[in-house]
Amino acid sequence: MSACAATFAVSLPREEPTGETALERERQLNQFLAGVEKRALRIAEIGVRDRDEALDLVQDAMIRLARAYASRPADEWTPLFYRILHNGVRDWHRRQKVRRRVMAWFGRSADGAGDYDPIEAAADPAGRTPEDELETGEAMRQLEVAIGGLPARQREAFMLRTFEGLDVAGTALAMGCSEGSVKTHYSRAVHTLREQLGEHWE
Amino acid sequence: MNESPESERFTEQAKRVFDDSVDRLDAAALSRLNRSRQRALAELGTAGAAHGQWLRWVPATGVAAAVALATVMMMNARPPDVAQEPVSESDFEMLLDDGDELEMLEDLEFYSWLDLAGPTAGDNVG
Repeated sequence: MSACAATFAVSLPREEPTGETALERERQLNQFLAGVEKRALRIAEIGVRDRDEALDLVQDAMIRLARAYASRPADEWTPLFYRILHNGVRDWHRRQKVRRRVMAWFGRSADGAGDYDPIEAAADPAGRTPEDELETGEAMRQLEVAIGGLPARQREAFMLRTFEGLDVAGTALAMGCSEGSVKTHYSRAVHTLREQLGEHWE
Repeated sequence: MNESPESERFTEQAKRVFDDSVDRLDAAALSRLNRSRQRALAELGTAGAAHGQWLRWVPATGVAAAVALATVMMMNARPPDVAQEPVSESDFEMLLDDGDELEMLEDLEFYSWLDLAGPTAGDNVG
């Protein structure tokens, strides 16, 4: 008998979740995503200032969570989901930076394109109509602008702690840093935002 | 984390403003979120099934690999190399062909002395 030919199927009990368990897990994940998706969209939108891009990022985070972490305990899903989402936001900013460089290079070499400003030419930052802007309110607009001016880590810490309500440990897991770093970033973010918005908010 | 009352008021107001903007999300955004969620849940089933299929072959592959390894080891098995002294034919003749080989074995010490002492050693014996 050839040693290499010794391949045969063995029928062993599969350790897959039963149909009932799989359905329960799907129900839990659906409930989790439904509960977090709207806040996640707004957080991503503040991060990238573009609703369509934010929707893509949230969808990507949902899919990645389902693929890779659905079997993890449900109480770990929130920090894991936001970790994926924030990684997506960071990658998006890196891609934008490269794109701006490329566009600037071509802009200088093209006739009449030297004055092209991609920021000025871009659509409304959040993809909203003027009516939406009015609805959202001036306070939120000011807050978004102020948050947008924060360093990325401070912005993440502030939004996760304040908007999503994660505790320090959960925020640290979502940001992939120590709890001490979270406290520092968060404290600095609040201080800066209060300085900028204080006269309007207090 | 200890915050000053002013900071707490500020963050509470920021949360209220943020929650208000969440509540004002338009129908198109909500619809898109719903589709994204369904797509993610569909991936959950696909990923689970693919993962399960892969896992299903793990025991079979493991058993096959173990059998293959055992077979290869058996086919290549050899007795251990033990250094052996060359055996002369006279040794066997001495032990097997002679009728009184057992007596000779009992007097092995004597024959050893006889061999070392030379041809004249046994002249005085007996």
